Amino acid sequence: MSDTALRAPFPERAGAALKDTFLQEALTIATTKFIDLRRESFAGFPQGEALRDQARAIKEATLQRLDAHLERLADNVERLGGVVHWATTADEAREIVLRLARERGVRMAVKSKSMATEEIDLNEALEHAGVTAVETDLGEYIIQLAHEKPSHIIAPAIHKTKGQVAELFSRELRGEFPADPEVLTAVARKALREKFLQADMGITGANFAVADTGTVVLVTNEGNGRMVTSLPRIHVALMGIEKVIPSMSDLVVFLAILARSATGQKLSSYTTLVRGPRRAGELEGPQEFHLILLDNGRSRQIASTLREALYCLRCGACLNVCPVYRQIGGHAYGHTYPGPIGILLTAMLKGNESVRELAHASSLCGACKDVCPVRIDIPRMLVELREHLDREKIAPWSERVVFRAFRRLLMSETAFRVSARAGRLLQKPFVRQGRLRGLPLLLGRWTRTRDLPPVASRTFRERWKDLR
Amino acid sequence: MTARADFLARIRREVAKAPGQFAASAVPRPPHPGAAAEAIRRELTERWPQALERFREEFERIAGVFHRVPTLEAVPSVIAAIARERGASRLVTWDPAALGFDPGPVLSRDGLVVAAVRAGQEDDAARERHRAEAAAAQIGVTGADFALAETGTLILLSGAGRPRSTSLLPDVHVAVFGRDRLLETLEQVGVMLEALHADADRSMSGAMINFITGPSRTADIELTLTRGVHGPKEVHAIFVEAP
Repeated sequence: MSDTALRAPFPERAGAALKDTFLQEALTIATTKFIDLRRESFAGFPQGEALRDQARAIKEATLQRLDAHLERLADNVERLGGVVHWATTADEAREIVLRLARERGVRMAVKSKSMATEEIDLNEALEHAGVTAVETDLGEYIIQLAHEKPSHIIAPAIHKTKGQVAELFSRELRGEFPADPEVLTAVARKALREKFLQADMGITGANFAVADTGTVVLVTNEGNGRMVTSLPRIHVALMGIEKVIPSMSDLVVFLAILARSATGQKLSSYTTLVRGPRRAGELEGPQEFHLILLDNGRSRQIASTLREALYCLRCGACLNVCPVYRQIGGHAYGHTYPGPIGILLTAMLKGNESVRELAHASSLCGACKDVCPVRIDIPRMLVELREHLDREKIAPWSERVVFRAFRRLLMSETAFRVSARAGRLLQKPFVRQGRLRGLPLLLGRWTRTRDLPPVASRTFRERWKDLR
Repeated sequence: MTARADFLARIRREVAKAPGQFAASAVPRPPHPGAAAEAIRRELTERWPQALERFREEFERIAGVFHRVPTLEAVPSVIAAIARERGASRLVTWDPAALGFDPGPVLSRDGLVVAAVRAGQEDDAARERHRAEAAAAQIGVTGADFALAETGTLILLSGAGRPRSTSLLPDVHVAVFGRDRLLETLEQVGVMLEALHADADRSMSGAMINFITGPSRTADIELTLTRGVHGPKEVHAIFVEAP
């Protein structure tokens, strides 16, 4: 998606997505499949519900002593010979990576999939500094070659057909490749294998970091997370501060539910635990290990509205079940993190102004909360966010005026009664087959895609007088 | 870059502002992880046959290939058969001391080129040589420190004589293990990890632990499941009956 498309207002972006028939089909197939896989996985796992409660309690306990856990993590990483960097902002985090690359003469960096590096736009910064940054997760590799952005947290290229990928690979990798996922995967394997062996720096995120032991944990299916932490001479891990957990005993609780929520697997193919640089006696592994702890707006929310969003494991389950995401896909959201949790994370990282439209891109149906492995109450926070937008006068004035009028109406019995009568009169031309359709002016936007029940010929309040 | 003290002070301030909102408890760590790990091992000396059956079932469900042999002496011929079927000619293995046996002589007699890592060789020349050998090998042979029945997972500790890439770069990964490596649940893995880290500098010679659950896989192109993206296309587990 181009920059202009990203700058377009949300309704336009969503509208474009709704008209894209391929995208519509791809989204339905992908999200339905993920939903089924997740459901089957938890159906055969009775202890899953208790583990979800436990995982949630661990996240809350960690937040209540976040400073102490981060300190312990940092002490342990340093004791192991790693270097810890503290980045308050995205700018600082980028600067740390760029400085490391510059000082150590890094020409090529291989990356495993990391939403945190997407969040700080690291690739652009590296390219700008003359460092080739290669995404190695197959989905990320595809969208990097296509100069696009991920459209799903765990399946970044679900918006592309195999035909499009074949064309892309044929052009960028110089060959003639058929639209066969097996062949295309083999092509990527070969191209990326060379990069793994040549690269000077491996860049990863972290799914978890264990404070007790100074361990960074990466969960992947392809094995690229293992490559980038085993072959290059420098490993840089960038993690949001909320990823820290206290102990190995806690880690296994999360592992038991993470892959099940994301892809329906019992465990992802690879769970990699990294404790600092290679030890004396090891033939392989990086000489240097750097851990960048990223705040970027997170700590502001510890004592604020979006606190619970800090529990998020980035599994993507809430995207798949969201009736809005299922219709418009990830790009229409216009930010790094899409879907229901993405709205909250965007507000967290970029401020409430950035979601003045997105805060309404939810039907508040609660499906996201039901599937969240740590039971984040996303709908509650979305409502609170809308309230903030109104109170801080960020919401458009028209919206605020309408809601204020609505509140007046609901709080006065007389006004409510009168408005019912007025409505009954005014609605007459628009009632067809017992439903309100084709309303005029601004209201027409609502009835263009759905109808409304008309005001009853006798309202409940009117009937109640007789029934009493 | 922010100074550590300032960074942590900010977080401390925010944490102090926020009253705990929800139920909060971390998992209690085992007070004596070593003893807890021993207790699990003792229990498994009775239950290992059931654990093995479950491991086989789960491992095969995720496309693993399971083999069972009576003694270590029978292992090399299984590996040779795997190599023959795939037309593989080059193998890389962990240090025979870390494997618990030396498959080299038998496999070499079959005309296979075997590069065995030796603990203690770790100068730059050895590193370069090893990387070239690992990258050229079609089969990598390792042990397994744990075999987790619940999920069909092989758990490997890196270290001296146990390179990380032996189970990663070749197209085929073969892991050899005995009954004393079997575990039943992730919870037990948690205890083992606690025990390993209680005195990590002595119990582990490497910096990495990998949980391997089947072959490398992706579904990034139209959700079509494809194996062997970056890591092995095939994973074999050879279980050795003899204690």
